Amino acid sequence: MKKLVDVSIPIGPVHPCWKEPVRIKCETSGERVLSAEVELGYMKKGIEKIMRGRPWQEVMFLAERVCGICSVIHNMVFIEAMEEISGISLPPRAAYLRVIVNELDRMQSHLIANFSYCYTIEHETLAMYLLDVREQVLDQLERVTGARINTAYMIPGGVRFDLMEEDSGALRTALREIETGVKRYMKMFSSGPLISLRSRGIAVFSREDAIKARVVGPTARASGIPESDLRSRHPTYIKLGFQPVWREEGDNFARVMVRFDEILQSIDLIQKALDTLPEGDIRGGGICKAGETAYSGEAPRGELRYFIKTDEYGRVVDITIQTPSIMNIEACTHSMLKGVTSLADVTSTFISADPCIACMER
Amino acid sequence: MSLLQQIKNKVRSKSIHVTFVDVGSCNGCDIEVLACLAPRYDIEQYGIYVHNNPREADILLVMGVMTPQWEDKLRILWNKIPDPKVAIAVGNCPISGCVFNRRESYVDPPVSKHIPIAAEVPGCPPRPTEILNAILSLAPVVFRDYEEKMK
Repeated sequence: MKKLVDVSIPIGPVHPCWKEPVRIKCETSGERVLSAEVELGYMKKGIEKIMRGRPWQEVMFLAERVCGICSVIHNMVFIEAMEEISGISLPPRAAYLRVIVNELDRMQSHLIANFSYCYTIEHETLAMYLLDVREQVLDQLERVTGARINTAYMIPGGVRFDLMEEDSGALRTALREIETGVKRYMKMFSSGPLISLRSRGIAVFSREDAIKARVVGPTARASGIPESDLRSRHPTYIKLGFQPVWREEGDNFARVMVRFDEILQSIDLIQKALDTLPEGDIRGGGICKAGETAYSGEAPRGELRYFIKTDEYGRVVDITIQTPSIMNIEACTHSMLKGVTSLADVTSTFISADPCIACMER
Repeated sequence: MSLLQQIKNKVRSKSIHVTFVDVGSCNGCDIEVLACLAPRYDIEQYGIYVHNNPREADILLVMGVMTPQWEDKLRILWNKIPDPKVAIAVGNCPISGCVFNRRESYVDPPVSKHIPIAAEVPGCPPRPTEILNAILSLAPVVFRDYEEKMK
């Protein structure tokens, strides 16, 4: 009998390219990957079990610590779900400030995703440039919210801090600088011949496969599914005239470029929000009541969904979190990695889907 | 002090190799360690190199709350690091478990139950400068005259 599989190669759980522990088992014939499988469970902490039976004031901080990279969106989705349950209305200024902070968080998340990709294809110079831009974005996040990573900025019925006039001026100046930087590095990425060899046409993920695998976020938008962006259904984003960016190639290059485009789009959104920032209160107040809801928001990696059930004292009785990475990682290992011609492309393909293991296993 | 020891001190002061292992954190500390690589903090100007190979490492940065999967694996990883070696706990999680150390969670903090921890950097997450400061203040204490001290 002819032997199909030469060798099965495990990658991980401690690997220079991943920041978090995950193991991929690749069945290879020569260098060609025939099939791949992902092994999870290194990060399971049981955060949903801790959340149950606790008041929302505690769950709010726990929700933020589901994921350290996209902590703002976890905060935002949980708080907006609580507002939907209790019927708390939001002052317009607070809604705009939420968009500003959320977009700053999305920018730093996309920058670190693209940093990881450039680091994985061994283009360390570009990776360091991107990490430098990310520090500038984090400075602005710190200016607005007071913290770098776990900000706890949003609360039911408003936000914690107002944006001062001098801060918004500094934010505008910094955004212009970030924009010049990102445009320059985007040009470097899209015109580099060696980057192109490592990225274009590698791990092509067609639109049909993407719909079948139910991928979300930039991975879906790189395969030509613009409607996967849930921001186009959020009331504040509709006011700001949000239009999703998308590409149709579906390869590693498209996935990274979609993220670059979204960074520029986020800068536009923040500038638009700063231009039209309404005057008024930032906290309306309100009491969290009993109820049950499912609420989704667009995290940097795709659709984030919270199922929440509360009792009359505002305690969380039941909660389930559906994070975007699980769909993307499954689609990546089962479809994208199949047929990849070199083992060196396995790591870069996996990173291009922007996996967040902490988010996924909780 | 012998000449050999002097040469070793000189070399070790400018080449500290760091490996990091995530034993179940929320990613916040991971990206703050990554931020140390950024040109703003520039960890390499102090002669510290980050790469995830335990066999050539001097310092192990541990992040996270110690999930059940890591209980045997962290010890294996620690044994692979050649002497002289030292482990630093980054963030609140390996020190106390932070918000995860509650009833019904799967975690088993602190990490010092499993491997010897030499220094702790509290914070949720600590700033990159604090992590850098911990590495820089610990390295000379541990690595200078290591062989003389062992006699």
